[in-house]
Amino acid sequence: MIKIINNKKIILLAGLTAILLLIPVFITKPYFLHVIVMCLLWAYLASSWNIVGGFAGQLSLGHGIYTAVGAYATVMLFNTLGLSPWLGMLIGGSLAVLLSLIIGFPTFGLRGAYYALATVAISEGVIVLLNSVSNLGKFQVGGAEGLIVKTVGNSFGAIQFVSKVPYYYIMLIALGLAILVAKLVKESRLGYYLVALREDEEAAAALGVNVRNNKLIAGAISAFMTAIGGVFYAMLIRYLEPNAIAGAAAMSTQMVFMTIVGGAGTVLGPVIGGILLSIVSEVIRFYLGGQLMGLHLFVYGLIVMVMIIYQPAGIIAWYDKFKEHRLRKIGNKGGASGAENSSGA
Amino acid sequence: MSVVANGLSMGAIYGLIALGLTLIFGIMRIINFAHGALLMLAMMISYWLWAATGLSPYILIIIVGPIMFIFGYVCELFLIKPVLDAQKEVREPVAVLLLTAALAIVLENGALMLFGADYVMAHTSFSKATLALGSVTVSASRFYGLIIALVAAGAFYLFLQRTQIGRNIRATGQDRNAASLMGINVPKTFAVAFGVGTALLCVAAVVLIPFYYVHPSVGAVFMTKAFIVVVLGGLGSVPGALLGGIIIGLIESIAAQYMAATLTAMLVYLVFLLVLFVKPTGMFGSPYEW
Amino acid sequence: MQKTLLELKDLTIRFGGLIAVNKFNAQINVGEAVGLIGPNGAGKTTAFNLIAGVYAPTEGKVIFDGEDITGLKPYDVCRKGIGRTFQVVKPFGKMTVLQNIMVGAFINTPKPKEAKQVAVEIMGKIGLQSKSDSLARNLTIPERKRLEMAKALATKPKLLLLDEVLAGLNPTEIEEAIMLIKSINREGITVLMIEHVLQATMAICNRILVLDYGKKIAEGTPKEVTSNIDVIKAYLGDEYEDVKN
Repeated sequence: MIKIINNKKIILLAGLTAILLLIPVFITKPYFLHVIVMCLLWAYLASSWNIVGGFAGQLSLGHGIYTAVGAYATVMLFNTLGLSPWLGMLIGGSLAVLLSLIIGFPTFGLRGAYYALATVAISEGVIVLLNSVSNLGKFQVGGAEGLIVKTVGNSFGAIQFVSKVPYYYIMLIALGLAILVAKLVKESRLGYYLVALREDEEAAAALGVNVRNNKLIAGAISAFMTAIGGVFYAMLIRYLEPNAIAGAAAMSTQMVFMTIVGGAGTVLGPVIGGILLSIVSEVIRFYLGGQLMGLHLFVYGLIVMVMIIYQPAGIIAWYDKFKEHRLRKIGNKGGASGAENSSGA
Repeated sequence: MSVVANGLSMGAIYGLIALGLTLIFGIMRIINFAHGALLMLAMMISYWLWAATGLSPYILIIIVGPIMFIFGYVCELFLIKPVLDAQKEVREPVAVLLLTAALAIVLENGALMLFGADYVMAHTSFSKATLALGSVTVSASRFYGLIIALVAAGAFYLFLQRTQIGRNIRATGQDRNAASLMGINVPKTFAVAFGVGTALLCVAAVVLIPFYYVHPSVGAVFMTKAFIVVVLGGLGSVPGALLGGIIIGLIESIAAQYMAATLTAMLVYLVFLLVLFVKPTGMFGSPYEW
Repeated sequence: MQKTLLELKDLTIRFGGLIAVNKFNAQINVGEAVGLIGPNGAGKTTAFNLIAGVYAPTEGKVIFDGEDITGLKPYDVCRKGIGRTFQVVKPFGKMTVLQNIMVGAFINTPKPKEAKQVAVEIMGKIGLQSKSDSLARNLTIPERKRLEMAKALATKPKLLLLDEVLAGLNPTEIEEAIMLIKSINREGITVLMIEHVLQATMAICNRILVLDYGKKIAEGTPKEVTSNIDVIKAYLGDEYEDVKN
């Protein structure tokens, strides 16, 4: 019985991978491909946020600072020194980790709502800073006018391509890695400790869990991943503007909403949420956006509200319930029980 | 000195906006991320009523107030309450926070769709006028704003202290279980509190439209400041909100004389973070356990 | 010669004007099962919180296995070898029983496989194997109490602090719990337990400490303590001065 399920899973996974790899073959219009790449990017960013927001349960509403750090550091190094973004993202990521530790240390001790407010204040402060700084020595920062990424044409080292196809594969791999990281974290000691401290900090501490350190580790992993996401964003859009890369509406809250709608604290929840909300938003903007400015965000906001009211555990929870229901039916028929652990992949 | 006067006026308005927030935050323990958008809504409604009727904005309080109250009441009852109830078990109910954040997006973009992105202002007879108070010249509209804000805050304080509803609200804030055992209808009280908090915004709204541009995203700026004021003044404290607002207003206007606008903003954020880390309960602390 | 595992020296804590624990001196030796009793509000749980690092004492020291652990944070105290349960049990509701216990097991190994092995073993000892995959929040009260103990046991403590683990159990369940605690003690884990169920305490413990208003008022074998006049007065009030056991 179990063997059949496992084989089914592998077949499904293989099939899915094949489809994903072949998408650019079937979808050739650059605009559509661009939309799909953005969906993958948002799924990636949501997954990154999920590490600290879902697994560790810390409602960071200012995560845009990490996409900003990653993006700005990499682009500044690329524009001025010609440093490949592949290396730049490691530097940007490390800076993000450092920042997350500096911020996390005092703020992780705050109560949930106060922590959220602190992240909002810090994030807005960073945006104000970015808007006001034009140059850092010989490095162009751009200030409020933004920073244009130097165009070099087709170059893998510069993560710049004329066609959208390479971006697609890069983003696909990145998303795959993000999902892998999430799964690894979830099944590791860190993952268990994070769920424990999310449920009951006092009880976790009594079992030897250093609450603050575990939150900091989760925060650091999340910051690193998010910063890399910021780099991809920069290389895709090729233009950095403080509000777009770090702003609450454009970046920070998006990551949060996508994760919540999909299912916070699960491995696939943020992916589903990210892809779904991006597609909905983009479809509306494409078909109706011209006539009614703001409609796509309006609908987006409505979807989020509806999900929070009716299924705060996210779309994944519906899938889990469905799975449990199916297993119970099979169990009743075959007489074999086996309550499968419900926690989304 | 006019700098101080203007700082006082803006500060009082911040305090006024923060009053509703501290009420909701203090009584219901929820962070209302839609507060800024609700302010924007109040401003929009006030502006359009002014444009349609020509009545002085201050008189419009009578109409806009109840509208906002009902809107807030309904929002709480149908949107927030289900989520609050579902989160009763959770130690820190952040779902409500996210709900209000999403509500803010809905309101902002709804306004964008209905009213467009234009910046509008209610150009009244006193919009550009100035007053001479002794040796100080102040902007008339801001000065009136100061007076009205103080009056409104005072009236609100009396409401909380002297009326039955006010007492119910305070009792529910201190201990909702005890309040319910004493016969207070807690769900209804929450809805009323939210409605009142929202209605207070209309006072700030009518005070602002004569000299502040209205547009769909105007709420965001005020909201962060309002939160800073609430934390600075102390969760749930009316005098704290007003005093905190005035302090922030003064810091802003005085600092603006010496540094660039951007640095002024950062100074305010720094003050906020300092308060959060050093004394999260703010100036007047909180009589309630968080 | 018995080795001292836990020593409390003049342990005191004040909350504002209230002295919750007042110059509490005690010695717990390796392998003992010691009871901590006293009327409600006597400061028993507070004493536990002081030992476990939840509070830092205003005065006095906590010395564990020869090491001064006064003021250490709860997670450090646990790492030193002290496990504790909470009076109001704190299961990790959204995790399964097995996962709950694994959290405790992880303190000694970073590997999920090993943690799982330890957890399965503890689950067997505690008698919760049949509920391995059930969510903790779906357990009955007695099951939750056992889970609470299992979590602490998974950390492989030298000293186990049990806070009223028998409260709310029916006589059969109490019998089972007594046997369980005795077997834990037999395996070499020193036990310090707060209890109100006196017969159970007398059955398990070889020594009993009595607290009243934060002060230790008696210490001795169960028989000695229950016939102690001060103890009787503490529980029943001054009118029972003439009662002799």
